[in-house]
Amino acid sequence: MSAGGKAQEHEQKYKRDVIITTIARLMIPFIQMYALYVMVGTEGAGGGFQGGVVFAASFVLFVTAFGITKGRRRLPESWNAALSSLGLYFYAGIGLLCIILSLFGAQYLNYGALPLWTIIGRPATRGLSITFVVEVGIAITVMAVFASIFFDLAWKGGEDKEDNKEEGGE
Amino acid sequence: MKAITASALLFVILLGALFIYVAEDIPAFGDPNSPANRWINLSIGIDARSHVVESLNEGIVPDALVSEIKNRGLPLPEGYKVEREGEGWNILIPKGEMFYPNLEKYYFIMNEGNRLWVYRYSVPVRWEERCEEEIGVPNMVTAGLADYRGYDTLGETTVIFTAGVSVILLLRRRGKL
Repeated sequence: MSAGGKAQEHEQKYKRDVIITTIARLMIPFIQMYALYVMVGTEGAGGGFQGGVVFAASFVLFVTAFGITKGRRRLPESWNAALSSLGLYFYAGIGLLCIILSLFGAQYLNYGALPLWTIIGRPATRGLSITFVVEVGIAITVMAVFASIFFDLAWKGGEDKEDNKEEGGE
Repeated sequence: MKAITASALLFVILLGALFIYVAEDIPAFGDPNSPANRWINLSIGIDARSHVVESLNEGIVPDALVSEIKNRGLPLPEGYKVEREGEGWNILIPKGEMFYPNLEKYYFIMNEGNRLWVYRYSVPVRWEERCEEEIGVPNMVTAGLADYRGYDTLGETTVIFTAGVSVILLLRRRGKL
C-alpha cells in the first residue's frame, strides 16, 4: 500500500470533529491578536520571543483542527524560509542603518543615532526602534522557526499526494 | 553555479563581514571599569579631615582625592558635580559616549571609620535609575534586553535561526514546496 493510501485510511479513521474546528475557528484570530499585543510589549509584559511563540501556537492549533495539508497551504515552506531570515535581517539591518545614517559616527545598534531623533528626540527614537523594529524582527524569526520545526516534525510524507487527489490533479 | 546559489553565498559572506566589522565595537571582556556589582570599593582612601568634608559639601572634590583617582588611571574630567546622598557624596561626571544624556553617577564617596573611601557605580545602577529617561520605554526588561544588551539578543535570535535551519536540514522530507 502506498503512503498516500495510508494517509487516506488514517483520514477516514479519524474524521474531523465539528466542535474542534468551530472552536479553532473562533480562537485563532484572538490568539493571533494577543500574540501581536505581546509582541510589541514595551508597555507591559512580553517581548519578541514570547509573542513569536504565541503566534506559532496559533498555527499548531490550526494544524490540530484542520490537518497538516491545509496548514501548509496557509503557511507555505517558501514563505516560512523567507520569514525566518527576514526577522534577523530587520534586526541586523537597523543596527547597520545606525552606523550608515550617522555617517559612521555611532556604534552598531546605537538606535539613538537614527536621523529621526531631530524630530522626536533621542529617547523616543530608541523606544520606537526597539518596539517596532527589533521586537517585531525577533518575533517574525521566532514564529517562522517554531512553525517550521512543528511542520517538519508533524509531516509524515505523502500528504501532498493526497492533497493532489483531493484537487483532482496528478 | 546557479544564480540563486551564488546570491545565497554572497549574502552569507556579506553577513559574515558585517559581524566581523561590528565585533570591533564590543567592549573588552573583563574590563575592570564595568563590574557587575552595584558599586565596588576602589581602595582609594584619604583621612576625613574637616576641611576635606567641607569642600565636598561645597561641591569640590579635594585635591588629595583628585590626585589619588588620577594616579589609578581613572577619569575625573572637568565639569563634574558633587551631590550629597545619605551618608556620602555622589560624583556625577560628563559622559564620553556619543548620543547619551549628559551626566552619569560615577563615584560614591563614603565616610567610614573617619576615612573617605571611593566607590565606583556600575551598570545596573544606571539601568535601574536612568532606563526610562534614556530609552523612553516603561518596561525595563524589554528596554534592557533590546538596547543595553542588544548584542546579546541579536546572538540569541541567531541561535534560534540556526536551530531552525538545522531542523530543516535533518528532518525535512521533501514535499511540494
